[in-house]
Amino acid sequence: MADVVTVPQVRPVQPALRFLRVIPGVLLLAAVGYAGKLLEQNVGAYAKAHHWTFPNIEYVLWAIVLGLVISNTVGVPEIFRTGVATYEFWLKAGIVLLGARFLLGDILKLGGVSLVLVAIEIVGSLAFMTFLGRLFKLKPKLTTLLAVGSAVCGVSAIIATKGAIEADDEDSSFSIAAILALGALALFTFPVIGHFLHLSDRAYGLWAGLGVDNTAEATAAGALYSDAAGKLAVLVKSTRNAMIGFVVLGYAIYWAGKGQAQAVGNKAAFLWQKFPKFVLGFLVISVLATYHFFNKDQVGALANLSRWAFLLTFAGVGLRTNFSEMRKQGLRPFLVGAIGEVVIAGFTLALVYGAGKIFGW
Amino acid sequence: MSAEVEAKKTGSFWKLSLDTWAVLLAFLLALLVRVGVFKHIPW
Repeated sequence: MADVVTVPQVRPVQPALRFLRVIPGVLLLAAVGYAGKLLEQNVGAYAKAHHWTFPNIEYVLWAIVLGLVISNTVGVPEIFRTGVATYEFWLKAGIVLLGARFLLGDILKLGGVSLVLVAIEIVGSLAFMTFLGRLFKLKPKLTTLLAVGSAVCGVSAIIATKGAIEADDEDSSFSIAAILALGALALFTFPVIGHFLHLSDRAYGLWAGLGVDNTAEATAAGALYSDAAGKLAVLVKSTRNAMIGFVVLGYAIYWAGKGQAQAVGNKAAFLWQKFPKFVLGFLVISVLATYHFFNKDQVGALANLSRWAFLLTFAGVGLRTNFSEMRKQGLRPFLVGAIGEVVIAGFTLALVYGAGKIFGW
Repeated sequence: MSAEVEAKKTGSFWKLSLDTWAVLLAFLLALLVRVGVFKHIPW
């Protein structure tokens, strides 16, 4: 009987079919992303030729806005959805390739500073979100999911924690909706605040990496400010992502101790399973670039491949953001998330200012 | 039975995490750039 059930699930043709199903959505990501790039090149030139005053809008913003318009007007048809969902795959491949633009020394220097800031940010954010969740009388596991989503790495952290603490589907979809909605807001507010405060590329990149939850939004928020800020935001965000295993393990042990989740057997295997492998890939490419495995032209080619991968990601950020879907999830978790995010944004900005004073940036 | 075992092995290979697939793709692209298959990537 069991054989009858398992055989259809392991048909070797399935991966090929799955691959074919992603093609339309990936083509849509490419079309929206490339349209954003064309708009950046042509709108500015057209406005200049006609003596119009028009701000220089980067392809990042065009791609996101185009995606948002499609998602919130005509919607994303079913045939494209599987492929659009691959935007995180392109994000991770792009981050690994971006490693070619970092020398190991820079990573150790910046990574060391960001590791300290990330540790402070995670502890502070977890404590504050837990306090807020209790204040608003949210369910304890929903509070845990919101805390982990805000403190570590957004949706990935929520999904990893959901399995480890055996939270409800409803709780995780509430948390994911809140984190996505707040990520979309951060995408537009962080660059405006950064320019208003005249933050340097370094200060802004650190802030975006520390303060924006989802990796895709943190990458986009950094890139919207400048190329250098985008690079740093990715590095800091990856440092935060690397902490995911420890935080999820801590919560898994806590909930298992309360008898509301399964006990964790092999802790090292648990940490490895939760560890984001793209962070290791990023380090490997960076080590290879540092020891001149790639020449200058090849580093340039890898950097451009990384930009193309991010282009698909930015299109995906817009295409998967649907405001009416988010509204359906209810106000209270969103309110807790929003208050938490504003406080965390202020807290991380203060951290960046403090680090700037200490290190003389 | 052996076909089933083979299929299960194939299944587990394809079930690598998204992260791992992204890293493998990036490494493959880096290798292709290194050996000169992709000489220039425009932007």
